[in-house]
Amino acid sequence: MSLDTDSRTEAVSDRRETGGAKQVPELAARSFWRLAFREDRFFIILSVFIGVFSGLAVVCFRYAIDWCRLYLLGTGVVLTPMRMLLAPTLAGLVIAVLVLHFFPATRGSGVNQTKAALYIYNGQIPFRTAIGKFITSALAIGSGHSLGPEDPSLQIGACLASVLGRQMRLSRDRMRLIAPVGAAAGLAAAFNAPISAVLFVIEEVIGRWTAGILGSVVLSAVSSVVVMRWFLGSEPLFRIPAVEMTQPSELLAYSVLGIVGGFAAAVFAGGIAALRPALKALPRWTQYLQPAMAGLLIGLIAALGAPQVMGAGYEYIDQAMHGQFTWQFLAILAGLKILATLLSFISGTPGGMFAPTLFIGAMLGASVGGAERLLFPHLTILPGAYALVGMGVLFAGFLRAPMTSVFMVLEVSGNYSIILPVIVANSLAYVISRTLQPTPIFDLLTRQDGLELPSMEELREEDILHVEDAMQSSNAPLLEAEDTLGKAVRSLDQSQVDYLFVRLSPSGWSTVRKEQILALATDDNADAKLSSLLPLKRVPYLHPDHSLETALRYLDRWPVVPVVSRADFSRLEGVVSQRAVLDRYREFGEG
Amino acid sequence: MPQMPEQNRSSERWSRLRVYLWQRPVMLALMTALAVLFFLLVTGLTRAYQAQRRSLGNRWYERGVADLNSQRFDAAVTDFRAALLYSRDNYNYQLNLAEALLGMNHTAEASVYLMNLWDRQPEDGLVNLELARITAQKGQAQQAIRHYHDAVYAAWPPQSEGLRQKARLELIDLLLRNNENQKAQAELIAMSENADDDPEQHRVLGDLFVRAGDYQHAFTEYRLSLKTDPRNAKALAGLGLAAYQLGRYPLAQQYLGEAMKSDPSDSASAERWKTTALILCMDPFRRQITMAERNRRVVEAFSTAGQRLEKCASSNGNGPRAGGQQPDLSQEWSSLKPQISVRGLQLNPDLTERAMDLVFRVERETSSSCGPPAGPDLALLLLSNLHEGNSF
Repeated sequence: MSLDTDSRTEAVSDRRETGGAKQVPELAARSFWRLAFREDRFFIILSVFIGVFSGLAVVCFRYAIDWCRLYLLGTGVVLTPMRMLLAPTLAGLVIAVLVLHFFPATRGSGVNQTKAALYIYNGQIPFRTAIGKFITSALAIGSGHSLGPEDPSLQIGACLASVLGRQMRLSRDRMRLIAPVGAAAGLAAAFNAPISAVLFVIEEVIGRWTAGILGSVVLSAVSSVVVMRWFLGSEPLFRIPAVEMTQPSELLAYSVLGIVGGFAAAVFAGGIAALRPALKALPRWTQYLQPAMAGLLIGLIAALGAPQVMGAGYEYIDQAMHGQFTWQFLAILAGLKILATLLSFISGTPGGMFAPTLFIGAMLGASVGGAERLLFPHLTILPGAYALVGMGVLFAGFLRAPMTSVFMVLEVSGNYSIILPVIVANSLAYVISRTLQPTPIFDLLTRQDGLELPSMEELREEDILHVEDAMQSSNAPLLEAEDTLGKAVRSLDQSQVDYLFVRLSPSGWSTVRKEQILALATDDNADAKLSSLLPLKRVPYLHPDHSLETALRYLDRWPVVPVVSRADFSRLEGVVSQRAVLDRYREFGEG
Repeated sequence: MPQMPEQNRSSERWSRLRVYLWQRPVMLALMTALAVLFFLLVTGLTRAYQAQRRSLGNRWYERGVADLNSQRFDAAVTDFRAALLYSRDNYNYQLNLAEALLGMNHTAEASVYLMNLWDRQPEDGLVNLELARITAQKGQAQQAIRHYHDAVYAAWPPQSEGLRQKARLELIDLLLRNNENQKAQAELIAMSENADDDPEQHRVLGDLFVRAGDYQHAFTEYRLSLKTDPRNAKALAGLGLAAYQLGRYPLAQQYLGEAMKSDPSDSASAERWKTTALILCMDPFRRQITMAERNRRVVEAFSTAGQRLEKCASSNGNGPRAGGQQPDLSQEWSSLKPQISVRGLQLNPDLTERAMDLVFRVERETSSSCGPPAGPDLALLLLSNLHEGNSF
């Protein structure tokens, strides 16, 4: 609004100064450019570019992972034990050197680093972080470390966005928002699921829905997915079998999956919570060996008969969905993947947790489904449906993104008929995991790293104080604007307070102090109307459901603010004062 | 004088404005150029990446085909799985993996792949054939029949035409196993119309017609088979059987005899030959026999029926009855017995018809109440079927 006014004024003054008619087209062109490249509009255009660059980067990242896998692990499905043991171990050594000496900001998943860019570093992420993340994550995932490409893609996207934002000299406010825009683009391209990516970034990184940022996030996510599909095709990460729920009683069976998933998520998160600080506390020289040791142990698990735990494991999710494993083996795979991912992650190896979470969820889901099919043969249990719901369950329980978990399953499956089981199972998993592990995994990691970023879950769950919590009943006399001064004097005489409320016509409220009334109180004025004697200034009013923060905006200027009903603005529900609000906050703070 | 600062301010503002105005458009243009460059680079990388994946996929696929042809199903499964790593939706890779899995009897997993392929190409003959086999194995007959139908009417490549025939034969076999003889007959007729001169194929068709109870077509098919392979024991036995079932006993005797000569171990044909010989020497209505011989055969048949009645009565405790309103067959036989002799029949030729009618009724009744007949009784029963409805 202010920019519009400025440009108009400048244009007018320019025209006055130059005075010539020749200058008009030039000025019009200048105005056009200024309007077109105004920061808020330019930010939208930039979002598309961020999406394009992120999409291209993610495509390259996918190629890099595949090439690392081909050259380190081999081209077949049956890996030799030597490669299984050596590839992740040696890659771990290289990664440790790269991370410790060249790219220290690339440790971990990348989600928290993006949040830190938003809340701490004003959107600034060095370009070398993207380079480092690209190299180290590709090496880690390609060599068989149990990590996924989604979170690194998110960080690469955020980093590219930050670089572009810096080059475009965006304002500090825009720079802060640019990292989430890039993050959404990176995640959308990696996951081939733009809706889930947007939701995740809103739910887990930004934490609030605002029109300004939502448009940019959506645009960048969509453009990155378009670019990614241009090169890699539109096929989903896994083939989704036909899934449907035929009997309502199956919801009970899915509930069991929700409960099991909730416990598994708590174990997974609890493992990270307990072991990560312990490993970080070891002497610095051990950090050179930690990724290699993790790689060696993962290689050992693979060589002993579970090569499925290596890498992101999407092809095995696909197989689990199509019923190609027994339920016992699926349960074992879920357990081993938790162990393998724990090893990779706590050792500080760069890589994401999305894919392992989905893998564990799919295995657990298909396993629970398989066991239930044996116990309840009358239920039409499809392993694909259970694997799909299982992915959502772990996502809700471990990553604590309940909304994203539901939409992710719907987006990936393209099947709305599975929504009921997904909601039921995800809610159960979320509640159980939250009870057993109160701190969400991303908050846990930031606190372990010594940062204090706003917890989106805590923000969501935060108790908000309302005006009704501090509202008091009004002792002040209540008069109409048409009442006489004599009535006002009488009312004040009977009252203990030194002000009164005046209801204005047709709506609105005003306050009058006692001394104002007494100053006018003469016999001549006794029958005069208040509205004719006093300049009745409108005062703001609140409703009981307004937040106390809203009330505080008014209470420094008005000592008492009327609280009126939303249904009838002329009905006074009570009053709220600064003291009452502060007392309420103090009580709240004391618990 | 006041003009100068005003001009300076204006030019300063203009230069500031120019920086402000042109920086973003230029940067945008640069960004576009960079995006195009990056795009071209990624296009090049994509080509290299895809070419490598294609090559790796083909390499594993060729290995898999070699293993599959050598019946090394385990290795073939691993090879095709590796090939699918590089081209997850490749139709041939999936189809061959399913074939290899079927070879390993991993039908559940194979059917997942086959169903996926069927979703993509419901008209694929081989996929339908394999799915039909799997569903038939699971006992889902109707679904199997549908898949077999789709396989039969699918567009097969010329070199795989044999598979269409195989699919049809399997379909007919399934229909027959499910007692859907009419549908099986229809398929058989369609198949026989398209059959070439292969004697073995005609022989198989003849066998299937026999199973469907269509002896006339079976007879034709066996004859066609024997046209090119006259000494085929199975075809001779089949032709003998078809003739036997059609009541063409002289022909049956001839072919069954030849079948026995070609394959002396064929006990079923030998048994049938004996029955046929009995029929031929017991049939009183045969042409080209004298009156005396006819009467002798009637007397013999009457006596055989009497013995059958007696045996039946002793095994059941009482004699068979034709029904509540019919006279007791034993009583009828006993009352007619005094008149049935060669001389009696010479004097009253009408007795031949009454005697043989009773004989046939006795044989039919006893075959249903006293178990299947054998020897002369079987011959008489078959004669009763042959002459049923004929006026003698």
